[in-house]
Amino acid sequence: MTLDNKFDEYYEKNFYQGGTTCCPGCGGPLLWRMILEALGPNTIVYGDGPCAMCAIRNIKLPTFSIHFSFIADGATGILAALRAKGRQDITVISSGGDGATGDISLGKVSAAAERNENMIQICVDNEAYMNTGIQKSGLTPFGAWTTTTPTGKENNKKEIPMIIAAHRVPYVATASISYPRDLKAKIEKAKGIKGFKYIHTVIPCPTGWRFDPAKSVEVTRLGVDTWAWPLFEIEQGTLKISAKPEQKPITEYLSAQGRFRQMKPEHVEYLQKEIDSKRISLLESNGRKLFL
Amino acid sequence: MSFTRMMEGNEAAAWGALLSRAQVVPAYPITPQTELISSIASLIAEGKMKAEYIKVEGEHTAMAAAVGASAMGARVFTASSSQGIVFMEEALWMPPGMRLPIGMCIVNRAIAPIGGLRPDHNDSLLQRDTGWIQLYCENSQEVLDTIIMGYRIGEDKRIYLPVATCYDGYFVSATATPTTVPSQAEVDEFLPPYKHEMYSLLPEDWKPRPYRENIAASRYEVQQAHEKAKKVIEDVDKEYRKRFGRGYDGALEEYNCDGAEAVLVTMGSMTGTVRDVIDELRVKGKKIGLVKLRCFRPFPTEELQRLAKKYHAIAVVDRNTSYGSAGGGIVSMEVARALYALDDRPLLLNFHVGLGGTDVTMRQIDYMADETLKAVKAGKVKEAVDWVEFKDLGPVM
Amino acid sequence: MSSVVRSFRPEVDQKKCVKCGLCQQFCPEGTVIVSDEGAVFDYRFCKGCGVCGNECRVKAITMVREV
Repeated sequence: MTLDNKFDEYYEKNFYQGGTTCCPGCGGPLLWRMILEALGPNTIVYGDGPCAMCAIRNIKLPTFSIHFSFIADGATGILAALRAKGRQDITVISSGGDGATGDISLGKVSAAAERNENMIQICVDNEAYMNTGIQKSGLTPFGAWTTTTPTGKENNKKEIPMIIAAHRVPYVATASISYPRDLKAKIEKAKGIKGFKYIHTVIPCPTGWRFDPAKSVEVTRLGVDTWAWPLFEIEQGTLKISAKPEQKPITEYLSAQGRFRQMKPEHVEYLQKEIDSKRISLLESNGRKLFL
Repeated sequence: MSFTRMMEGNEAAAWGALLSRAQVVPAYPITPQTELISSIASLIAEGKMKAEYIKVEGEHTAMAAAVGASAMGARVFTASSSQGIVFMEEALWMPPGMRLPIGMCIVNRAIAPIGGLRPDHNDSLLQRDTGWIQLYCENSQEVLDTIIMGYRIGEDKRIYLPVATCYDGYFVSATATPTTVPSQAEVDEFLPPYKHEMYSLLPEDWKPRPYRENIAASRYEVQQAHEKAKKVIEDVDKEYRKRFGRGYDGALEEYNCDGAEAVLVTMGSMTGTVRDVIDELRVKGKKIGLVKLRCFRPFPTEELQRLAKKYHAIAVVDRNTSYGSAGGGIVSMEVARALYALDDRPLLLNFHVGLGGTDVTMRQIDYMADETLKAVKAGKVKEAVDWVEFKDLGPVM
Repeated sequence: MSSVVRSFRPEVDQKKCVKCGLCQQFCPEGTVIVSDEGAVFDYRFCKGCGVCGNECRVKAITMVREV
């Protein structure tokens, strides 16, 4: 078998065609490869919108999308139709970017959570409206450069996982492509749960975050290791932290990315304090039922 | 088992959805559509209707869920009005371009500001460019029949377009008129189950949505579907009349027009009142008839051109406004364009009446008929656009 | 297939490669397979992002200038 054939077979087996139109080093294709490995062939993917939609184009399973302001709602319809057809064996995974999930369609995600729709809702968070050329979203972190916040974002990142957990859905988790086993395990667990599952993933964006594409996975790992991006699950309301890395100073994470270059020392200090207090409260609440 | 009783338009619509075997109903409440969705919810709870009613949190979501469900192969029914239609505007462009034959009721209501809850046709007419087929109903019976016919039209393999059944809030939605509800067996013979030939989302059967690189080509296809729909609408109406004994003459109906010199063109519930006034006027020897415009999209250009040759004047009654337009209301502009191609054009009058849901009174209809016949006599039109409500016509009755 | 525009391409020293599979796991495009011979690349679709080289623990992969 030629090398090309070997790869073509590999792409078929993994339901994912190599060679997306995403930027080199984009976390989007990486995320979808991992997700599809965990979900298997009986899956329908709904969603569009973030530039990671270029990643969705390469999926070799049924995909459907409307537009990025339509998060979770088309999937609601798909699920109802599947019930009408008596097909409970198909997993529906609905995806949206940070701008879609956190800003323009937050109401829709909230409503789908309230209705406890039987879908896995993934947030593909690259921390800005990247597809339209790097504009700030509600999920852009404090101090980050974007074209609409050239001096750095003035407000904190919206805490979407906690907002969704407050809807008392069966499962909420955060995951990272730099910890693939953890991500896949969470997807598999979500597949087996009935009801609304929400998984928030951070997707490195070399273009918008300003770093060498080769460092894509490394930067994402730093996010987890500095506790800027803590990994946890909230299952039936109980918090469980997935990884407790030795905390690295936030400056390591910030200096690895060009988008934080213009941050003033007092802002860096503020951010470190925020992360510290978040880490402490997460550790304190670990294993406990969160009052949400 | 077929039965007949007094029924409001909204309830009739619910029965239409039930008999059409709609499977997924994503809907959000808005006056004057609320009784429709609560009727459906009741019918489902009573076990009479086998559908899932998705209680969505907004109209934008309602139409998006409709798109997802229809693409997944379920027959979808939804309904909205006014602000709801405008709110779901982004989603409304999807079904025609995606060729999804969703059935929707637009329970006409004026759009704010200075809107209120009563009907005018701006909410549905606003959607005229989206590609939805639009049929306007006069009473509860027509609503029920049109919903069933709508699925037959929209799901036709040559068409695959969504159909909007439009009817006036309050005047039709909340007014009870005698309605015959056919039996499920009869409707099943007329309306087969929904199966989309063009694409499937099931993993074992995945046919991706047909996607054309060339935008003009894909738009042209939707336009062609509208052209083909004209005949399908006529045929479906004929078949319905044969099976159920009720028909609506397809896209437009000429009423009491034998020997008429001029016609009033109306849409929606006011047609019922106009019928009565025309009957009286014909008895008095006034040569004016009524043309009921039932199908606004696809616009029946050829039919209108054919019947225009018979009349000296056509008066279009617009229950809508289009600020800053080329001249007058939306329907009159469509009629004008249809008539422009004729060598010998009848006079065109345009009346604005019933805006924001005010009553269209018999006196106003009398006035409009009078003005039209005067124009025929004078050979010219006095006022190109006549806002009837400002005319002092004396006491209402 | 359309030609992929790349500045760098990954080259592997099979003697150094320990077949751990990290490059295959982390390649965003999925264009690396680790087999018995070591790491092999699908140059039809590889974008030359360099994640494989960065993640390789034994520095078996180097990014070589292509253009």
